Amino acid sequence: MTVADDIPLAKPARAGKATQPFPIRRVVPGVLTTLIVVFCVAPFLLVLAISFGRKVDGAAWVWDLTFENYQRFFVGVLWPDEITLLYLQQLYYSFYFAVIASLLAVLTALPFTLLLTRLKRSTQAMWLVFILSSLAMSEVFIVMGWDILLSNNSGLPKLFRETGLTAWLKDVGWFQTLRDWGLANPRNVKFKTSDFATVLTMSYLVWPYAVILLYPALSRLDPSLAEAARTMGAGRWTVTRTVTLPSIRLPLLGTTLLLFVFLLGTYVAVTVFAAPEKHTTAVAIYSNVRGANLNAPFGATQAIMLLIAASTCLSLGHLLNRKAEGAR
Amino acid sequence: MRVFGMLYMGLVALVLALPIVVVCGAALNSGRSMFFPPVDPTFERFGEFFVSEPVWTVALWNSVIVATSAASLAVLMAWPIAYMLWSTGSNISKTLAGLGSLPFAVPPIVFGVGLGFFWAFTGGLGEIWAGIISHAILLLALPLVTISIGLQSIDRSLLDAAATMGATDQVAFRTVVLPQTVPYTISGFFFVLVLSFNEFIVIFFVSASSYATVTLQIFNSLRNGYTPTMAVAAITFLAVSILVFSAVARWGDLPRLMGADQTRK
Repeated sequence: MTVADDIPLAKPARAGKATQPFPIRRVVPGVLTTLIVVFCVAPFLLVLAISFGRKVDGAAWVWDLTFENYQRFFVGVLWPDEITLLYLQQLYYSFYFAVIASLLAVLTALPFTLLLTRLKRSTQAMWLVFILSSLAMSEVFIVMGWDILLSNNSGLPKLFRETGLTAWLKDVGWFQTLRDWGLANPRNVKFKTSDFATVLTMSYLVWPYAVILLYPALSRLDPSLAEAARTMGAGRWTVTRTVTLPSIRLPLLGTTLLLFVFLLGTYVAVTVFAAPEKHTTAVAIYSNVRGANLNAPFGATQAIMLLIAASTCLSLGHLLNRKAEGAR
Repeated sequence: MRVFGMLYMGLVALVLALPIVVVCGAALNSGRSMFFPPVDPTFERFGEFFVSEPVWTVALWNSVIVATSAASLAVLMAWPIAYMLWSTGSNISKTLAGLGSLPFAVPPIVFGVGLGFFWAFTGGLGEIWAGIISHAILLLALPLVTISIGLQSIDRSLLDAAATMGATDQVAFRTVVLPQTVPYTISGFFFVLVLSFNEFIVIFFVSASSYATVTLQIFNSLRNGYTPTMAVAAITFLAVSILVFSAVARWGDLPRLMGADQTRK
């Protein structure tokens, strides 16, 4: 309550509000709640409902309450006679790519963001414009760029060959190592298709997000703490390990988890750069819902499983953090 | 150590710019295929993209309509929620803000699939207005955040002062709250605009191939190989992003919007 309540002058104004013809304060929350529930919640509920549906031949599906789709996801259609782990394997590759790419992004973005927060405010703004612009770049543009850079007839492989780097690699024997890693064919290095290219592109996709998410926490770091530790004779590395890292543990974990969840759904980068046998759940969802398979209920099941997997990871992270907090 | 840090930042800038530079360079090719460095550079592709090739001009127009409408809609929805959250802090406003940010927090493909089903039932599948609403909902979290930051920056004693001097809530809103939050509202609008422009997976599911935005058109052409015209699209989008964010940085406080500490300059 403000002082205004005690002042008679303010009274007429308040009376005027009470006789307002349109009770906007009551209507707006109601309308908003409806909108949010319809548009933000209903789509997820629909996916859940349809995941129990059944496909009928002729590219359509009907409502049902069957767990067949879930059974298929875990052990395949022909269970118990035969077990297919294909769909679990797809989920595994979703995790595999997302974990590596998000870790790579956060670990490389951390030192960068630390350096960024120590710059002048105006210089920071310039960097932020650059980073936000690359953040806004569509997945399709980024994939297109890396595709040109990594494809066999142009970009890096061509550069390797023309500069004699390939020949040199062959001379020192590292070429065979690259071949073992699947990064070379008999004649030259190749990056398409490879895990390397997939992880690189995915990491690139979320890298600006990593900076943006770490930025607030790092810019609030109190430099005097580190300086105090330094004056007391702690080495640079000791300071990082005992002062800086513990104070940003929470945002670091949070950022990694967010990027990881975001990357679970990567579609374009995986279709272009990953080998077909390493395609992820996201690709499978697409081919069931919009693509060649046309099995919407099973696509919905996969989407639900992806969502469950993502939220499990988020709550596990949350739990771990609670534990760590409690232990301190 | 200082030199090492600068080297690292330089390296980061290089890697960040690399694919972008390659795409931009490829736009200058005169032939039908992408080469880098470009062969026989020309600006003809820009004409094709903006004027002569209907596939691209229609797609560009669709992108512009979807992005501007979605941005307006998202801001209109985010404003009352952020305002309720700030002025009352009630549980319902917290729930609304949480649910409103949900689509942005889950893997986008799941929300895309959900919206695809949703519009199939409500008759919006393949309609451009459905695409607009979808993007507005997906990106609602952004203006919610920027407007909330703006509202938090208002000194509450100003409001008390206004009330003491006899201003009604409406007057105080118009003269104190609104002017202070305009830059943040505009920033929120532009964040949605740019991200909607570049968004792919959700619009892919809700458009059901009956219309194409630029990103969709590029994805469709991905299988048939790249053409330099696609690179022009990339340049255009990049230019829009840089322009928008520079404007936000010039007229707003970008470091603050991104959550930088206020006490240090």
